[in-house]
Amino acid sequence: MTAQTPPGTPLWRQAFDAAEKRVTPHAEELVRTPYFATGVGLLRRAQNIAKDTARGVSARAWHLVNLPAGTDLARLRAQLGALDREVRRLTVQLENERRRPLTSDVPTTATSEEPDAHGAQPTGSPRPRPARRGAQRPPRS
Amino acid sequence: MERNALRARNGIKLVAGVDRPGVGLTPKDVVWERGRTQLWHYRSDKVKYSPPLLIVFSLISRSYILDLTPGNSFIEQLLDAGFDVYMVDWGEPDERDAQNRLEDYVDDYIPAAVDRVRELSGADEVNLFGYCFGGDLTLLYAAHHPDAPVRSLTVLATPVDFTKMGPMSDIFRNSGLEVDDVVDEDGNVPPRVVVQGFKTLTPTADVTRYVTLWERLWSDEYVSAYQAMTGWSDDHIPFPGAAARETVQMLVRDNAMVTDRLSVGGDPVHLSDIRLPFLTVRADRDHIVPPEATEALIDLVGSEDKHELRLHAGHMGLVVGRTAAKTTVPEIIGFLRKRSDEVGED
Repeated sequence: MTAQTPPGTPLWRQAFDAAEKRVTPHAEELVRTPYFATGVGLLRRAQNIAKDTARGVSARAWHLVNLPAGTDLARLRAQLGALDREVRRLTVQLENERRRPLTSDVPTTATSEEPDAHGAQPTGSPRPRPARRGAQRPPRS
Repeated sequence: MERNALRARNGIKLVAGVDRPGVGLTPKDVVWERGRTQLWHYRSDKVKYSPPLLIVFSLISRSYILDLTPGNSFIEQLLDAGFDVYMVDWGEPDERDAQNRLEDYVDDYIPAAVDRVRELSGADEVNLFGYCFGGDLTLLYAAHHPDAPVRSLTVLATPVDFTKMGPMSDIFRNSGLEVDDVVDEDGNVPPRVVVQGFKTLTPTADVTRYVTLWERLWSDEYVSAYQAMTGWSDDHIPFPGAAARETVQMLVRDNAMVTDRLSVGGDPVHLSDIRLPFLTVRADRDHIVPPEATEALIDLVGSEDKHELRLHAGHMGLVVGRTAAKTTVPEIIGFLRKRSDEVGED
């Protein structure tokens, strides 16, 4: 952006570069001021208040006729998402536990199951925790 | 006159979105997947080094920047150098990922990918490589799992001092804006917010970009590179809401990497616990992750064998284009070769 103009550059481009060179530092300075950050924050919150108000009104209208509103669906999606995450985490942790003996030279019973197969976490056992802090292996020479 | 005709032709192509250069074309196989996350193994018949290299990509952008176009691909160069390359790609998060926290990636997905790579390759360890925010994930992983089977850690354009990240972090630190104020209905921070955040860092860059495009619209080569590069910089993915909340609170507001207040899954984590051979690569002209934001990293990790490479390049220039091909990639390859064994060697 601030590189020297190479020879043969058209006049219009030289004019643009000169203008850009003057404007850019001011624009970059402006977006780094606390006023800009505050302005963006206020604008965003104002947008959200307007959106939430409109959503609240439409939700009440749908609830009047005993139908779910978009906000109810959003809540359901969030709950499903949380459940999906839990299942995914348990599956990955179970896989990690299954794979660990295979990759760490510890003899283990062979299994015909797919390593990627979805498994289930026994309900009674606690969730496996990550390996605890220990001595990090020294760098190889 | 001829240039005007070429401009008209290329302009139509751009507007119509036809003839886009193919990206991410290096042949690969999906060797593990869970949810939206996939582990890719790049095919190669010239593997000369072990252990394999596992790349962890950022949570907010598309991974094809590392495999942009044939002949201009970071991955391709690593394969040509004889490395066995794997990459964790987080896919495109949706409402099912809105509750994902940083610990999901650090304690579950990365360990699973490391284990799968070891299982497939037969190697005891991996060389780990983190790009941008993926570098932060690998730092947290290496610090939280000091006994992990990792031979070395390389991070590229990885921010640690989030007070130096410019307007994007200032907005969350100083204006009282919360992540919940910007999340979409699916519970994630939408890509348009991420793109807009990056654009704020260089407010006049878009105008300059279009002016340069107009000036060089006649050049097929320029237009092709423009489509690939700007295509990537405008093509972000949603940032999972819970991970974004954690990032803003812990990394941006508490500046926890620098102030040593990191925690993952409730456990305190210290970057000084990282004792692996370590390389950090920074770019002087990086507008996305300013060099000041990466500067402290070399002093924060506890490794004795640690190196910093500072290049005169931009964020994308670290992995694509001439600087990458001539400097970044050969330096990274040199670092990794010294921490690898030739295949067949004991």
